[in-house]
Amino acid sequence: MKISYNAIAQLLIALLVIFVICILINNLTLNLIKTGLGFSFAWLFRPASFALAEHPLPYSPSDSYAWALFIGWLNSLKVIFYSLLLATLIGTCVGLFRVGKNALLRIVSAGYIAIIRQTPLLLQLMFWYFVAILGIKETITSPIGDLLSISNQGTNFLGIKLSAEFTSLLIGLSVFTSAYIAEVVRGGINSVQKGQWESFRSLGLRESTGLYKIIIPQALPAILPGLTSQYLNLAKNSTLAIAVGYSDIYAINDTIINQTGRPIEGFIILLLSFLFLNLLISNGMELLNSMITKSNNP
Amino acid sequence: MKNRYSQIKNLKRVAFSNTVDSIVSLIIISIGITTLLTLSKWMIFSANWSVVSINLPLFLFGSFPNDQLWRPGLWISLFAIFSLITILGPQWSWLRKSLLLLWISYGPLGVFLLAGGIGLSSVESQNWGGLTLTILLTSCSAIFSLPLGIALALGRQSTLPIVKNLSSIYIDVMRSIPLIAVLFFGQLLIPLFLPVGLEIDRVSRAIIAFTLFVSAYIAEDVRGGLQSISRTQKEAGEVLGLHPFQITCLIILPQALRVALPSLTNQAVGLLQNTSLMAILGLVELLGVGRSVLANPEFIGRYIEVYLLLAAIYWILGTLMALIARHLEQQLTLEKKDL
Repeated sequence: MKISYNAIAQLLIALLVIFVICILINNLTLNLIKTGLGFSFAWLFRPASFALAEHPLPYSPSDSYAWALFIGWLNSLKVIFYSLLLATLIGTCVGLFRVGKNALLRIVSAGYIAIIRQTPLLLQLMFWYFVAILGIKETITSPIGDLLSISNQGTNFLGIKLSAEFTSLLIGLSVFTSAYIAEVVRGGINSVQKGQWESFRSLGLRESTGLYKIIIPQALPAILPGLTSQYLNLAKNSTLAIAVGYSDIYAINDTIINQTGRPIEGFIILLLSFLFLNLLISNGMELLNSMITKSNNP
Repeated sequence: MKNRYSQIKNLKRVAFSNTVDSIVSLIIISIGITTLLTLSKWMIFSANWSVVSINLPLFLFGSFPNDQLWRPGLWISLFAIFSLITILGPQWSWLRKSLLLLWISYGPLGVFLLAGGIGLSSVESQNWGGLTLTILLTSCSAIFSLPLGIALALGRQSTLPIVKNLSSIYIDVMRSIPLIAVLFFGQLLIPLFLPVGLEIDRVSRAIIAFTLFVSAYIAEDVRGGLQSISRTQKEAGEVLGLHPFQITCLIILPQALRVALPSLTNQAVGLLQNTSLMAILGLVELLGVGRSVLANPEFIGRYIEVYLLLAAIYWILGTLMALIARHLEQQLTLEKKDL
């Protein structure tokens, strides 16, 4: 008796969902007929006829929309990859300071986390672009030769030229994500039992050795899931590149929709590229996770 | 006093325990003092705060008609009054019990005050802006996405496979798309999915898009809360002969929501910050006003002043929301103790 009741409930809900979807598709078709656009992907192979400031592979305005989208995807991947490394580096340091022995460092890192997490990322990106990078009057060079120099034209790091847009996006995303990573690292380290700290100290190990050999290996399993979700957030947040004029997948998609007037197709392309990006990141982290668990329990 | 003295002594011991620590501490102190001095010197002597003082009405109310400014003004003051009541913790239990209702009614009240209607002249949504619009977007999206999120979370926990799969697909797909894409396509696609001839304004489209997006995240937080409730609670309800619906609404959900409250607060603060994305999608909320002020040739290059003001407003609002949530949580538990 109960099974049939459940079956009816499910059937009703499925019918309701199908009904709503049908109404939406009906409205959509009517609206598309009214605008006279229809639904097709043939435009992907027409020339894009817009220039891109940054392209890791050769690109010219006569190339197709599909190629422009691929370039945008590579640009996204590039900024996500470097921000991921930089954010992990800063975040780990801040997280370690947050649980460290030095009280002043603890206060400073707590303040850093509070300020970064309570202000919008978009505002921070605008600050880094318009104030911090474009506001530079003369080139700043690092003390040691030409290792690193920053000007309002961009950054020169070991002979690699990075645009002002890329630099500000990289710094903004890394700083923002690092505050969240710091909290993940802190949580992971706090999840290690106090006795572990006491025992390595009583064995006479140095604080830093104990941290790297005893505490962090045990904290990693608790840190990695949180880190994965922060990396996924970073990938999604990288679409704010449009605010500083960096041509990532979202910005190029936006331009293309403005040119072709095809939002539905554009939405599908964006959805697929992000599903693929998410799969890439979560599978990469899964691989890292299995490597670490293997090395922890040989 | 004695406690504070020992705290300072303790800080000294902790910050200057050995040579490396002392050097690090001294460097931090010197950098901190230099930054503070430079910043205060800049704020007093170099900064030109006229960009803020001249545009203050714009930052608060957008381009709301001048003779009607009392409406958004009243609404924002109500926010301050409600916060004060919540944080101080009133003695009268009737007020304490209606706090939640007070906050829930805050969004609809704002729509009424801004849009007009019974007895008030109507104001087009193009004229809404500034802090008012930011708070409106946040409160309305929060009110709509909470029930939707709870429904999705219950759906994902359901034993009915169709319901479970539909909720899971919705949540997972929504969580994998960037918010700006949801908002942008919300502006473009929502009109396409509506019946021909029916049009809704940009603010409503933004609220719908925020609701669709945030509910997927709320669903995951609520699911975390649901999973933390022990099975025995459900069994106890069954033994008492309660209907499954009663068990969910009266026993499981109240406990799950209390567990999920801290992460729900984070979602609310995140929502507040994310309303700033509407600035690049054509709404003049707080950040949008900042952008348009900076585009005015009269105030060109006054980036730092404007950004500092905006950061301060967002920071204060976010901190206030976290504080309110904590007090609301305490009051909800207090109420339970009273019974």
